[in-house]
This record gives sequence, structure tokens and C-alpha cells, in this order.
Amino acid sequence: MSWLRRLSNTFRTRRLSSDIDREIAFHVAERAAHLLRQGVSEDEARRRARLQFGNPLAQRERARDVDVAEWLDALLRSVRHACRGLARTPGFTATVVLTLAVGIGANTAVFSVIDAVLLRELPFPDPDRLVRLTQQTEAQGETSETNTAAVRLDEWSRLSSTFVAITHFVWEDVSDTTGETPQSVRRATVGPGFLEVVGLPPALGRGFTDAEHRLGGPDVALISDQYWRNRLGADRQVLGRAIRMANRPYTIVGVLPPGFTFPADVDWWVPQYLDAPWTRSRQFRYEGVGRLERGVSLEQAMADLERVQAQLARQFPETDRDLRPRVTPLKDVYVRDVRASLWLLFGSVSLLLLIACTNIAALLLTRGAQRQQELAIRQALGSSRRTLALHLLTESTVLAVAGAAAGLVLAVAMAAGLKALAPTFPRLDTVTLSGPVLIYLAVVTTAVAVLSGLVPAFRITKLHTLRTGTHARATPRQPLHWWLVGVQVALSVTLLAGAGLLVRSLDRLSRVDAGFDAAGVVTFRITGSFGEERDYTRIVQRINRTLDELAALPQIEAAATTLALPGLPGGVASEVDVLELGDDGKARSAELRVVSPGYFDTMQIPILEGELCRRPEDARGVTEVMVNRAFAGRYIRGRAAVGLHLAATSPDRIAGVVGDAREIGIDRDPVPTVYQCFSAGTPIPWFLARSAARRGVPIEDIRRTLRNVDPQRSVYDVMPLDERIGGVYAPTRVRTILLSLFAITALLLACLGVYGALSYVVSLRQREAGLRLALGASRLGIIRQFCSHALRVIGAACVFGLLLSAAFTRALSGMLFGVSPLDPLTLSGVVALVLAVASIAALLPSARAAFAEPAQVLRGE
Amino acid sequence: MPQRRNDVLQGTLALLVLKTLASTSRMHGYAITTHIQQISHDLLRVEEGSLYPALHRMEQQGWLRSEWGLTDTNREARFYAITARGRRQLAAEEETWEKLTEGVARVLRYA
Repeated sequence: MSWLRRLSNTFRTRRLSSDIDREIAFHVAERAAHLLRQGVSEDEARRRARLQFGNPLAQRERARDVDVAEWLDALLRSVRHACRGLARTPGFTATVVLTLAVGIGANTAVFSVIDAVLLRELPFPDPDRLVRLTQQTEAQGETSETNTAAVRLDEWSRLSSTFVAITHFVWEDVSDTTGETPQSVRRATVGPGFLEVVGLPPALGRGFTDAEHRLGGPDVALISDQYWRNRLGADRQVLGRAIRMANRPYTIVGVLPPGFTFPADVDWWVPQYLDAPWTRSRQFRYEGVGRLERGVSLEQAMADLERVQAQLARQFPETDRDLRPRVTPLKDVYVRDVRASLWLLFGSVSLLLLIACTNIAALLLTRGAQRQQELAIRQALGSSRRTLALHLLTESTVLAVAGAAAGLVLAVAMAAGLKALAPTFPRLDTVTLSGPVLIYLAVVTTAVAVLSGLVPAFRITKLHTLRTGTHARATPRQPLHWWLVGVQVALSVTLLAGAGLLVRSLDRLSRVDAGFDAAGVVTFRITGSFGEERDYTRIVQRINRTLDELAALPQIEAAATTLALPGLPGGVASEVDVLELGDDGKARSAELRVVSPGYFDTMQIPILEGELCRRPEDARGVTEVMVNRAFAGRYIRGRAAVGLHLAATSPDRIAGVVGDAREIGIDRDPVPTVYQCFSAGTPIPWFLARSAARRGVPIEDIRRTLRNVDPQRSVYDVMPLDERIGGVYAPTRVRTILLSLFAITALLLACLGVYGALSYVVSLRQREAGLRLALGASRLGIIRQFCSHALRVIGAACVFGLLLSAAFTRALSGMLFGVSPLDPLTLSGVVALVLAVASIAALLPSARAAFAEPAQVLRGE
Repeated sequence: MPQRRNDVLQGTLALLVLKTLASTSRMHGYAITTHIQQISHDLLRVEEGSLYPALHRMEQQGWLRSEWGLTDTNREARFYAITARGRRQLAAEEETWEKLTEGVARVLRYA
């Protein structure tokens, strides 16, 4: 095979070279000997033999022309040549390298983040066998899917045959009081079989025993690898030691392996009591998760659970009759929340890459066109087409390699920047630059650079004489260039439209009428625990007294306690019956919030009907509730809600109706809500205090006051409510910032494209412009002449970009808040921005042509 | 005045070399030139300048293989031999050549 031989030749250049020398020497000697035999003198014979052979050196080189060693040598020369050429045009070189760097760098960084945060497989064995279990109810033709009761999940687990195990869990942030200062940790309370479901045994110690899943059992906990390393110094003797939660000790029985992040970034796992009222209730709901037996399909599992549930329906007709189990792959549940983000980022970086490639192509085409003359001269001086092509190829490759290297640097920097931008982003700490993505992008962009760099080489065929070169009259319109420019402008309009909509949503979100006012409200907790008093009434009284003291402070306008903070995602929906309405077959699902009566004043939620509920002063708990307007309007039609009773644990009287508030997330519409009035739903509720002076939180005053009430206790987890809410929406903000960055980069690249294309046209027609100026044309006329075409292209591209946006922003619709995907204000703003910026980019080269000195221009050529 | 050209026509060198080598087991470059010259009664003269590049090219295309050996006079020389692929190439080139000469002859006779 010839290429094989060529390749092998590279490794034996010297031998080959001396081979040829010897062969030629032999030939000359034979010829001389022949001549000698014919009677020619020895010197003459040798001279004639050599003469007849020709120049031995040239001969040798021609014989070896096909040799790779020569080729490599030529390549190196070509690389040096290319570098010198590129260094002579630093502006062009920098632009191409930078564009490549943005294309490769930004894409790699974003893809790496997506890969780490969203795409990587759930870090558990056989993740495909993990499923989420929910229940589906049907009422008045409306089906709704919700979490289901712990006891039911337990029955499903015991009675089914297709599951390794089914368990339930609930998680919340609690205070770790092990150390000097209380710290916030995430605690999951999990049902039996939790470790079997996840499929990972503890790295150290054991899981929970049945006894630990019973009320009154020992208080034990499993801890995460991270907590073990960061807080307990990775001590292998940690088993049996205690961690303290709300001053109650929990014995550590095990440490879970690294990467055990289920259900979320949990630090502690504690056992759920299976015999507690809240787990025995068939109406309290928990997250259910199960592991299928090997080889069991979703359909088989569903059929199995249907069978089990039919049995339960006979046993518990009241609660279980209209229930159907649902099985969903866990991965779907995880991805569902992020799929939209994924596609958005994927789409936008792809568009950015496309713009970058287009730009590079346009830049290289321009450069190629500008050097037609140089190439023509070199061809006239004897360069073969192959040499010229090789030269151009080398130049593009040098550019591409430099760009890819810069892109790598940029990717590393951007990944670091992203981590800094969103420290709370889940799993961001696992981001590593994705090698395959980097290679893929480098190949794509390099291919674009090399191909567009080669175009002039294909065009040389058209240049038969030098004359064509010196008086290059390439068509001034350069349709290909303008197409590329148009594509860039259109794509940047699309990206900007997307970014604009997200920015507008974020803005709307920050201005949304949440139904409550978070500004000026500080949140904190005060240490306490179930075990602090034998009589819960004392705890109630302690919390009530604290509230009274707080409210008495002049710096504080109002204070309250709550179990769940308003405006943060998450909630506890439960079914609620209205006693007076009897069993009318309607399912009434409501969000339950346990708050002190001061909550409405503190959060500035107006009371619309009735009056404020009274505050229970002892441990008997809730006696009165408030409902929101959504609850009253949807569930109690045609009669006054006030005075009716809800059946929960005891009949609770509806004391009043309050305004709707976005309790379960400010991006979620208010849901029917029942506020159970009780200040001590737990010994460590959240405290909310509204500062009298709208800004600034009198936290030191609060501390001082509380020291007076109870010097043993400390205040911790202090944070303004709006900061907490803001933190929850950090990923949304990151998404918006990212897309905005892409969009702005895209716009800059597009402007560069417009500028480059028009500069080229101007450079071609500078002479013509000079001539016209000399003959009396106005400068404005020249500008108009150059700009008009560019503006037409930009305008058309804007229209096209808007059409494209319509498709692109549809992907956004799930992420928008309060803005339609076709928001006219955003879209027109984007078009105005693009038109303005692109026009400036077009104006600059035109003005340069128009204000050049005609005499100079004419002399210059 | 017609120019007398006895240099081997461009493009026929490969044919001549292949044909020469086809009739013998192996031959070095100098022998190839003298052979062609003698057989053609000095009508054709192989220009040495084109011979060696051609030999190398043909070797790379796999039509020839070469090896160093000793001549009758005990001198080291590089010997070339035709390969199977070279024989196929020879057949193809002979056919082309015959068609060409026949065509040219017809034109000269009847045109």
C-alpha cells in the first residue's frame, strides 16, 4: 500500500536518501564505464555521464518528492510561515481565536455543568429499578396525583410481590445543636427498608432496626459521609457517639457512603415511627419510593399494586375506595423539574456555537477574498495549487488549534465562575470538564475553520492571470457573506428574545404580589426541644411569652411563629372535611399551615371576613382556624365560611377568611389553605418578626429581649425572609444570567460579523468611493450606499429571528412567570436593541470610507 | 523544421519499464535504459532524469519491488522486478497504447 510505504519512509529517511545516492552513483559509474569502453578518456567519460544524468541533487529531490519526510519539513516551514502571516494581522487573528474560544469554552463549560447536575445517572445501584409511588384519585372527573399515606405504602410493601421494598420519607432543615453554635442541617425521616430501596449499605455501622421504627424506641441517626468528614473529622470511632438535634441526643448507628444523596443533600437520617398517629393516618401523605424486583416491568408492578389496593379498598372503603396506585420511574421525577432548563441551555449554547462557527467562516472567507491577489502572485511565481492549498490549510489549522487552546482555558474559568455564581446549586461541586464534549466541540469548530479557510484555495482556479488579482473586482454584494451575517443576526435575536423573556419573568417574580410582604421580616429559631418540659403546655406558654415580649419591642411591628416559612417551595397538602357540609363526595385538598395568630399581621395578609382566630394557651392545640379565600371560594360555595367547622383531629372552627397568599412558592398560584392557629406546632417553630423600620433588622434587640425571657436559650438561623426566598430561586437566576450572557455574546459576535462583512465590502470599493467623493458625491450618500444593503440584511434577519424566537421561546413557556412567550414588549425591545447595535457596527466602516481623503485613497491603490 | 524527439514520450515510460521488466527476472536502472535503447535501435532514449523518479513512483504504487544486489561485475546495484499488480498494469497500458496507435495510424492513413 502506497501510504503505508510512505509512512514507513518517514522512519527511514536517511537510509532512503543514501539509497538514492548510491543508486544514482551506480548509474553514473556504469555509464562512465560504458563510455570508457567506447574509448573516451576517463575524465571525459565521467563528465559526460554526469552531464547526461543531469543535476544529481534535483534528480534526487524529484525521486523523493513523494517522501513524507520532505512533506513534514514543508509542513513545518508552512506552519512558521502561517504564524508569521497571522502575526501580521493581529486584529483578525485575535478575533478568530476569541470567537473560537467562546464557541468552545462556553459550550464546554455549560455542557459540563449540565452533565454534572442533570444528566449523570442517579448515583445508586440499578437506578432503573427505583420508582416513585403515588396515589391517584378521581373526583368529579378530575384526576389528581398526590403522595400517599405512610401506612398505605407500608401495606403495599408487605402485600405486593414485585418490590424489593417500598418506603417513605420526608425531609426538612433542622438545627444541629451538637456544637457550640447551632447549625442548619438537612434531616430526612425515613420509613423501614429505606437502605434496601436505595440499594446502598452503610459504609460504617448499620441501618435502623424495627424497634427504632417504633414510638419510644431509641433515638438513633445515620449520618452522611460529608457530615462525618466535615463535622466529625472522619472519626472511625464515631458509632455510638451522639449528635444533638434541638438539644435531644441521637446516637449515631451508621455512616452512609459518599454520594448517598437521597432524597436530597441530606446530612442526617432518622427513623420514622410506624405506630405514630401521623403514620397510621390514611390521609397524611408522604413521599413514597420503592425498588422493583429484578426483571419486573412497570406494568407488572402496577398490576401487582392494583391487586393489593383492591384488597385495601375492601378493607378500608372510606379512605381507599377511589384510590389507584401510580408507579413512576424515579429518574423521570428528577429530570422532570430540570428538563426544561436542560433544553433551554442546550438550545442556547448550540445557537451560540452556530453563531461562532458562522462568524469564523465569514471572517476566514473575507480574509481569503482579500488575499486572492497574494495567492495569484504566488501562483504566477510558480507555487503549485497544492502548495497554496497546503499553506491555507496550515493557516486555518494554526488558528483552530490556538482557538481550541484558548477555549479550554475559558472553559475552566467559566466552570469556576459558575460555581462561584451559584454556590447553592445542587451537585455543582461535582462539575468536571467533560472531555468528550470538549473534543467534540474542538472538532466541530476546527472543521469549520479549516473548511472555510480552504475556500480561497478552491477559488484560485478562477485566477488565471495576475491581472485578475491586482484589480480584484469581486462582486461587492458578496452574497455568501451576507447570508452568514444574516444568520448570525437572526440567531442573536432569538437568543436575546429568550434571555429577555427570562429577565422579564425574574423581574415579574420579584414584583409579584405574593399576598404577603416579605420585606422587613426576619426569620430565626430559638433553641428548644420536646424533651425540655414534661408538660407540653409549658412549651406553649414559653413560646407565647416569647411572642408577647417580641411584640412589645418598639422596633418590632409584629411577631409570629410558623411551622413552614411562607414563599418557599414545599407544603403539606391534606384532605379536609367540612363538618356542616357532610359527606358530599367531594375531595377537599388543602395546604395546612400551623401558625400563631400574629402571622397574618406579621406577613400583612388581610383578614377579609370574620375575625382573627384566638391563640390556644395550652397543649390541647388547635381550636380555631383561618382559611384563605381560595379555600372558601372553591370548597364552601354559597354559604359563609365563618363559623363552619373542619374535621381534622378535633372540630376546628373557621374564625375568619384571609387573603390568598403564595405560601408554597412565590411562583405558584395560591392554593386553598387552612391556617391552624397554634403558636407551638413544634418546640422549635420558625419565628417571624416584622421590623418597624422597614429596613434593617433589629436582631440584636431581639437577642437582648430573649435573654431576659430565658437566658438558657439562643437565637440561631437568623436570616431575612426575602433572602431565604431569593436563595430558593437562585437556580432560576443562574439560568437567566447564563442565557443573558450567551445572548449578549451572540449579539457581539453578530455585530462583529456585520462589521467584518461591511469592512470587506468597503475595502473592495474604497477606490470607487474615493472617486465619487472626488467627483462631488456627498459623504452622506456614500454612507447610505454602503449601509443600505447591510441594513436590509439586518432587518430581514430580525424578522426571521422573530419567527425563530416563536419556536424557541415555546420551550421557555414552563419557565416564564407572568410573561407570555410572545411578549410584544420584550420582542420589540430586542429588535430595537439589535437594530441599534448592528447599525452602529455597519456605520463604522461606512463612515471610514466616507471620511477618507479621496486623494489619498486614489493614490493608495 | 520538424524537431526530432527520441526522448520517451511522457506517459509511456511506465509502459516501457514494465514491459522491459516483464521479460526478465530483475534489472537495475542503468540496464533498463540501455535495454530500451537497444531494443528500440536507439529510436527511444530514456532520459535518466525521469527514470529514477518514475521507478520510485512505480514502486510506491506496488507495480515494482526493488532490492539491492550484485551485478555481474560484482558491484552493488538496486535491482527492480515486476510484481503481479505491475503485470496487470502492464496489460492495461498495452491495451491503451494499442488503441492509441491504431487510432493515430488510422488518422494518418485516411484523414
